[in-house]
Amino acid sequence: MTEYKLQTPGFDARFPQQNQTKHCYQSYLDYHKCVALKGSDFEPCKVFWHTFQSLCPHDWVENWDDEREKGIFPGDLSIDQFKDKTEEKKE
Amino acid sequence: MSIETRSKFQLFPSHEVNPSPWPIYMSFSLLSLGLTLGLLMHGYILSTWWLILAISVVISTIFLWTRDIIIEGTYLGGHTIAVKRGLNIGFLIFVGTEIMIFIALFWGYFHSAMNPSIEIGCQWPPVGITSIKPTELPLLNTIILLSSGATVTWAHESVLSRNRHNALLGLFITTLLIVIFVLCQICEFNSATFNITDSVYGSIFYATTGLHFIHMIMLSLMLAICTARMYVYHFTATHHVNLETTILYLHILDIIWLFIYIVFYWWGC
Amino acid sequence: MYMLNNMLNDVPTPWGMFFQDSATPNMEGMMELHNNVMFYLCMMLGFVSYMLYNMLTTYNHSVLPYKYLYHGQFIEIVWTTFPAMILLIIAFPSFILLYICDEVIAPAMTIKAMGLQWYWKYEYSDFIDDKGETIEFESYMIPEDLLEEGQLRQLDVDSPIVCPVDTHMRFIVTAADVIHDFAMPSLGIKIDAVPGRLNQTSALIQREGVYYGQCSELCGVMHSSMPIKIEAVSLGEFLAWIDEQ
Repeated sequence: MTEYKLQTPGFDARFPQQNQTKHCYQSYLDYHKCVALKGSDFEPCKVFWHTFQSLCPHDWVENWDDEREKGIFPGDLSIDQFKDKTEEKKE
Repeated sequence: MSIETRSKFQLFPSHEVNPSPWPIYMSFSLLSLGLTLGLLMHGYILSTWWLILAISVVISTIFLWTRDIIIEGTYLGGHTIAVKRGLNIGFLIFVGTEIMIFIALFWGYFHSAMNPSIEIGCQWPPVGITSIKPTELPLLNTIILLSSGATVTWAHESVLSRNRHNALLGLFITTLLIVIFVLCQICEFNSATFNITDSVYGSIFYATTGLHFIHMIMLSLMLAICTARMYVYHFTATHHVNLETTILYLHILDIIWLFIYIVFYWWGC
Repeated sequence: MYMLNNMLNDVPTPWGMFFQDSATPNMEGMMELHNNVMFYLCMMLGFVSYMLYNMLTTYNHSVLPYKYLYHGQFIEIVWTTFPAMILLIIAFPSFILLYICDEVIAPAMTIKAMGLQWYWKYEYSDFIDDKGETIEFESYMIPEDLLEEGQLRQLDVDSPIVCPVDTHMRFIVTAADVIHDFAMPSLGIKIDAVPGRLNQTSALIQREGVYYGQCSELCGVMHSSMPIKIEAVSLGEFLAWIDEQ
């Protein structure tokens, strides 16, 4: 028997409403920004992955992945504004 | 029967309208207009000539009906003070419904713009939509409309102070300004980079500005008729209901345009 | 004495006038609020009916319809403030319950329910196996001619939701075509499934059992044929079920 942890994204003060659409969507954006900045092995990115995995319907995620491949994803996935900050920290 | 003979025995101030075919004509022509529009938009009719036919039937019915009203009011003297008040109240209620429909459209706009949904990239205007710059043609349109408000007030004042020349000039300039506005809007709609099927932005934008545009066409017709009636001595300093309602209509459309300009062109870009 | 042959009711029954038995604290609260409000309702209905009856039967002898009273400051203040107070007394517990039911603070697992024409699709995306796959299945109603002995007509499905008892669960409800509604009377859940929108609600099932619900937003011809069935089992059994999937 595999070990399971009963764990799911908890309450997020940014999304206190019954409507969790933006919670799911923002986590999806954050995950892909995080991966673009730090690479897919970066452990903290997993938090975003788990969040959108648990909240978004699979059809939505598949659809968004398709859109990203085709380059027609409407969301803001630019990471330039974060890049400057990380470089400053390194210096 | 003239108003003098009637006033000798009639105890109430209203006039009884003769049996008229226009209400039922109007109903059927509006039905045909609605059906034609629907069938045309969904591809069941391919020729726009049906639409033009339906619109011309509507317009000619309006023309014939208002012709009867002018005969009753101006030539037969049926429009007493009480009847004039009733007409004005009726028009006020109509203007109220106009305001309601625009409130509904503004509501739709704010609903979509204040919390943009994820399908349009959580931003307003949506991703890929280049909105119209508020400082170009829309600003000119605003100036045109505001000055038309000024000229129509001048015309009204001239009517009240029995200055026929100035009244005619004022009405003519106002009509011209509204026609220029309509032409400017046509230019703008033609040069816009998005159309009514481009996301919720295009839909709500054209639904509202388009409805206002149709109203402006109607207003330019109303002003042209007022100018013509002014020219043929229909209006007096004390009796000009047609002119009063047209002026009210112009001001309301003016105010609605100001809100459209502020919200749709300025805030929403 | 009732406890001796007590059978909890989690399905609609013929002539079922009252609620199904509650299985969550939320539903418990809703029933209490209902009883609470019903108390005021009965009081007022009784009072108004009495006055009406009194006036109709003993018109001339009754003191209630005093026909020479055409203006009374005091009575007007009373009949304005009194209903307002009653409404406030009803509104406060109602709002408290509403916002308590809205809270989804620390759920332990998430179940996604998607309404489609005309079946439900469930996803358990918290559990990911080594291949990176998760649990996802569709749940269709069992048609009448395939029902087995003991199964409920128009309520039983081929693959029910299985969930553990005494665990905070979050339901994420959405739809893929038209609006549906995820309703479970015993759990005190009734939430619209809207395409393009994720609605969340919570449930803390307190006893093992099989719960039935139905789509509660008219969604097409087979609207009545997309029931929801939840099997609440102990945590161990649930984990075993997860393993099987």
